[in-house]
Amino acid sequence: MFAFLEMHPPALVIFVLMGAFIMPTISHFKRSLCGPASCVFMAVALACSFHFALIAEGGATISYAAGGWLAPWGIEVVIDSFSAFILVVISFISLLILFYSTTSLQTEVAHNAIGWYYTIFLLLVAAMMGMATTHDLFNMYVFIEVTGISACALVLAKNTKMATDAAFKYLLLATVGSGFVLFGIALLYLITGNLNITFVAEEFSKVYTQYPFLIWTVLSFFLVGFGIKSALFPLHLWLPDAHSSAPTTSSAILSGLVVKAYIVALIKFYYLIFGFDLLNQIYIRHLILVMAASAILFGSMFAFAQLDIKRRLAYSSVAQIGYIFLGIGLGGATGMAAGILHIFNHAVMKACLFLAAGAIYYQTGKKQVNKLQGLGYEMPITIGAFSIAALSMIGLPLFSGFISKWYLAQGSIEAGMPLFVGLIILSGLLNASYFLPIIWQAFFDVDQHKPKTFTLDAIPFSMASTLVILALTVIYFGLNPHFPLSLAQQAAKIFLP
Amino acid sequence: MSIFAKIMQNYPYFVAIVLFCIGIYTTLSQTSLMKKIIGINIISNAIFLLLIAAANIRGGTSPIMHGDHIPKGLLFVNPLPAALVLTGIVVSLSVTAFALSIVIRMYEYYGTIESNEILEIRSWE
Repeated sequence: MFAFLEMHPPALVIFVLMGAFIMPTISHFKRSLCGPASCVFMAVALACSFHFALIAEGGATISYAAGGWLAPWGIEVVIDSFSAFILVVISFISLLILFYSTTSLQTEVAHNAIGWYYTIFLLLVAAMMGMATTHDLFNMYVFIEVTGISACALVLAKNTKMATDAAFKYLLLATVGSGFVLFGIALLYLITGNLNITFVAEEFSKVYTQYPFLIWTVLSFFLVGFGIKSALFPLHLWLPDAHSSAPTTSSAILSGLVVKAYIVALIKFYYLIFGFDLLNQIYIRHLILVMAASAILFGSMFAFAQLDIKRRLAYSSVAQIGYIFLGIGLGGATGMAAGILHIFNHAVMKACLFLAAGAIYYQTGKKQVNKLQGLGYEMPITIGAFSIAALSMIGLPLFSGFISKWYLAQGSIEAGMPLFVGLIILSGLLNASYFLPIIWQAFFDVDQHKPKTFTLDAIPFSMASTLVILALTVIYFGLNPHFPLSLAQQAAKIFLP
Repeated sequence: MSIFAKIMQNYPYFVAIVLFCIGIYTTLSQTSLMKKIIGINIISNAIFLLLIAAANIRGGTSPIMHGDHIPKGLLFVNPLPAALVLTGIVVSLSVTAFALSIVIRMYEYYGTIESNEILEIRSWE
């Protein structure tokens, strides 16, 4: 199987797509089988992505011409260390979320919609995998649109007034964003006459001095377009509504993976086509740094003001996306690797937090952060996993969030901007200010008359085990970050030759 | 050559950019949800116009080969943007259909498709 996969890497995306369209058939015969079946599909996809990651860690690159048409004419698919890293992140996180959804989905989505929910979920995963692997500008646009539509449908699946409003807002802004991206792609095509990223970059380096204003336009259109879709700070308006009103599993994948898939596309466009020197010369890089810094500060401040637990987590995502953009903007090898590593670390932490919030709602029906008194004794597994992920968010040592913050700080010193070290420390404090009260309440703000004994959570096995695996992942990669870190460092080398 | 003469010579690009701005403005400023969806369509049509205008050559013919030799002086229109626009139209169609289905859902919930009235109804609840 792996030999075939090395010959035809797009088979991975097609396999997941096939899984998506088999789901309605399975749901027609036995509805409860959809969840486990999609888990099986994702498990195979995870094995394949892991195989790619091992190949890429050895330093090899697989390139494939779709349909036998060679690069400047046909669509090229490239698996390098960067796309292999993203593939592993996507399939690992979505496998865990799918496993969680096998028992949680019945309470949140209409009974007859469950089969379609899995269709959309796998469609979303396949489109994100396509975005990570494709090397063609227009193919990227098509995957961006598929991701956008299926992400909206995942929000809409809850079928409440809040979710419908949020999905419409999301769809409108996402379409405006992809309009900007397509305009940028069209302008790039006009000045270079190519759509393949390698050939565009080659042609661009010859002609760019003739079009000073057009380059400004293209770069800022990409920043606005992908900024809207990945919720970079002043453009984040749709995110809190969409991520807080969606079903739990949708929130986890939207916050953990979807916003980052667009960042992946942005990194590819910026660093493979334009290169670091150009971004530095015309101050786009400084604009990214300013937006990232304001995202880190204001995202945390807004999060502090929220009482709904999912809204608080959604605003915290806005802040954490700032870290990834900070790593991209710093531009040095260390900063870039830290930004790419944070894509993985934040996906694990945020999925854990959202799924824990969903489990709390499942057992107690509580949504507000100030009503969790003594919950640590009633559901120790959930609150334990929540605490581990929250401490990792704050950036305490021994947790994986610390690793990315440490390398980000190193990267900012390397880039000659020590001010950002202060920003990272300050944002750690801000994170502590909105996560620690929840943990403190749950474990220490207890009614004196109640007995202080731990009783096991009354949540299904699949929910509890997913939370435990995610929490253990946070701790494991905090202690031993070698594998993701070496992949991220190799990925950074692709973008900074 | 003055800037005005340049714009007159390349007027399809100019129209595309004006249409793009109109589309963005319509999407973000109109209160009716239907008009917002029309705005989305104007945005994508503006981009399609840009691509098609860039592909066209005045006096060119469609790129179909008859036999092996190409007559001298015959100009061909670039066929690639046409393929891109075709894909783009399909994408824009599906986004529009999806957005319209959400609008129907919202009409069932609120009895109106004006976003300011929806905000008012939500503030009562």
